[in-house]
Amino acid sequence: MNEVENPYLPKIAILDRVVDEIKDVRTFYWHFEDQNEQLKFKNFLPGQFAQISVFGIGEFPASLPPSPTEEETFFTIRTVGSCTDAFHKMKAGEKFAVRGPYGNGFKMDSYAGKNLIFVAGGIGLIPLRSCIIYALENRQKYERIQIFYGSRTPAELMYTNDLKKWGQSAGIECYLTVDRATDGWKGNVGVVGSLFKKPNVQMAIKNSIAFVCGPPVMFRFVIKDLLEMGFNEEDIVSTLERYMKCGIGKCGHCCIGSAYVCVDGPVFTYKQIKKLGEDI
Amino acid sequence: MKARIIEKDDVLKIVDLLREKYDVIAPFLITGRDTYFDTVTDSNRKDIKLHLPNPFYPPKRYVFPHIERLMRIKSNNNNIDIIVESDVKPLAIFGIRSCDLAGIGHLDRFYLGNAYRDCYYEARRKKLFLVNMVCTEVGVDITDDCFCLCTDTGPAAKELFDLQLMDLGKVYLVVAGTQLGEEFLSNPMFKHATEKDIELRRQILSEVRKSFKDTTSWFSATVRYISRGSVLEETWEEIGRRCLECGGCTYVCPACTCFTVTDRKIGDGEIERMRIWDSCALGGFTRMAGGFNPRKAVHDRRNRRFYRKLAHYFIQRELSMACVGCGRCAAVCHGDVGMPSVVEMIRRATAKLDAK
Ligand SMILES: Cc1cc2nc3c(=O)[nH]c(=O)nc-3n(C[C@H](O)[C@H](O)[C@H](O)COP(=O)(O)OP(=O)(O)OC[C@H]3O[C@@H](n4cnc5c(N)ncnc54)[C@H](O)[C@@H]3O)c2cc1C
Ligand code: SF4
Ligand code: FES
Repeated sequence: MNEVENPYLPKIAILDRVVDEIKDVRTFYWHFEDQNEQLKFKNFLPGQFAQISVFGIGEFPASLPPSPTEEETFFTIRTVGSCTDAFHKMKAGEKFAVRGPYGNGFKMDSYAGKNLIFVAGGIGLIPLRSCIIYALENRQKYERIQIFYGSRTPAELMYTNDLKKWGQSAGIECYLTVDRATDGWKGNVGVVGSLFKKPNVQMAIKNSIAFVCGPPVMFRFVIKDLLEMGFNEEDIVSTLERYMKCGIGKCGHCCIGSAYVCVDGPVFTYKQIKKLGEDI
Repeated sequence: MKARIIEKDDVLKIVDLLREKYDVIAPFLITGRDTYFDTVTDSNRKDIKLHLPNPFYPPKRYVFPHIERLMRIKSNNNNIDIIVESDVKPLAIFGIRSCDLAGIGHLDRFYLGNAYRDCYYEARRKKLFLVNMVCTEVGVDITDDCFCLCTDTGPAAKELFDLQLMDLGKVYLVVAGTQLGEEFLSNPMFKHATEKDIELRRQILSEVRKSFKDTTSWFSATVRYISRGSVLEETWEEIGRRCLECGGCTYVCPACTCFTVTDRKIGDGEIERMRIWDSCALGGFTRMAGGFNPRKAVHDRRNRRFYRKLAHYFIQRELSMACVGCGRCAAVCHGDVGMPSVVEMIRRATAKLDAK
């Protein structure tokens, strides 16, 4: 079977280190055993994903939170079931396997000259982190960059080092909120959408692209807010999560409406999502 | 195209000739509607039947096995070896029906087209020799459930076969569809066909076409209604109510492509990664982490299946509907929501609306 490429064949990867992110969520830094695979893989686009193999348990899809411009490759994974639990048990130095990158990714280059508005809830920041870092690395290409990020409690805010940096950098407006204040939280309390109307916030609406990722409830409310504020449906982009087995458009699990999410997505405009006609 | 004839008594000599180079699969009859495809051996060769109801379990599995190993993974001491073995042998299917052939055509476009090629399918497909049998015996080959006339896939295939057989009464007409098939016909057991044989073929086919029970499934109207989303929610609900979620329709379908992948232990430090046919009719098909399921209700899943098979978008993408008119789903469905019934239910309900 060597004459044709085997799209199901994962490549061996080595876990470098594991960092606790929030409860049940960890970031796993890794690299491919084969240097050439690493180089090939590094051409990924923000918004693409990979299939992780934990042998004996199975394979699962995960977003690529690093920007291709960054040195290290890593995943940020929440434990929810058999594969993710097994992955969480892995220790530095151990081997697993990865194949990808897959999916369409965000068309970051086509957004040049626009304002980028990032709206994330909870672990929805994982796929958006890649775009944010990419945009900052290519800062001159874009106009304003605004980040609106919310979690249930302050302890559940992810990528806190990045958040700190973004909060302090000129050229980015980063606004945080939590549903419930604890731990001496002095920032905003309320859902993500509540940030849009704050007096200190001037939301860029004209000539903007809004990236929205988060749990289904948050997604619905934020979309409603954005549409009311005058965003076009085609200027709101998001990633869809569907049960996936193959990642390459063959197994049929991710098929919704006229799309195979793994190859036609996972990035869609809200206009497309509406047409696909299933729940988010 | 080369056309030859072969005496009826000699038709199994084709199988013998094929067996020199291929493992040969052929249809067999137990009794009545109970038929199956199996590998030909010295002892069962005499039982091969060319006229019989098409087996429910489609020959699709010879290119896309029900269960198939993708790779073996051996690990010891943090050393991981991934082993992909390919031991695909040349295979010939003798007596594959036109609908099932169209099914393979659909699988070709799906697994080998689009962005990625499925190398496991390709390895099997490349070594496959196909001997198509034209359905001519009404009530035997052609049952009440057959609707290949409506899907334009039968009863006589126009492409994809290496050889095509048709019963002309006293002899079989044998036509080659590929270079490989033509080479096969150079064997002296085949005699030249005459103009009369070709004319007889035409006559028989035109008679056979008239004898289908189902010639008026309203596919084109239904494709239009489904594609533009004008099928009523209550029609989908009615279809959903009748579906018992057994998954039968998907397992007998020659054009269904979905599978799941699972790892299983096979020994000390060794596992195998398998792929297994899966069914969009089953509840777990789209369920995601946290229990959220975008296709919770049965009727959503039914809607999905028929949308996937009939929507204009996919027809353009795959150059055909994902239905080949074999009628198996109609025959196996407990709730009478096989393809022909669904097409009819949608057409009736939606046309009424259109007329208003
Ligand atoms: C494009 C994409 C990107 C993703 N990115 C991330 C990420 O960056 N970080 C992260 O933590 N999670 C991500 N996910 C979700 C992650 O893939 C699932 O949480 C994971 O597959 C669950 O597998 P499991 O074996 O641990 O759960 P299981 O034990 O298999 O099942 C637990 C539950 O999860 C469901 N499930 C099983 N497999 C999948 C699957 N492939 N997708 C969704 N649900 C599934 C089951 O039906 C069950 O309800 C992403 C999913 C997609 C589709
Ligand atoms: S659907 Fe057509 S091709 Fe298939 S078995 Fe019936 S008559 Fe033959
Ligand atoms: S994940 Fe298999 S088709 Fe999309």
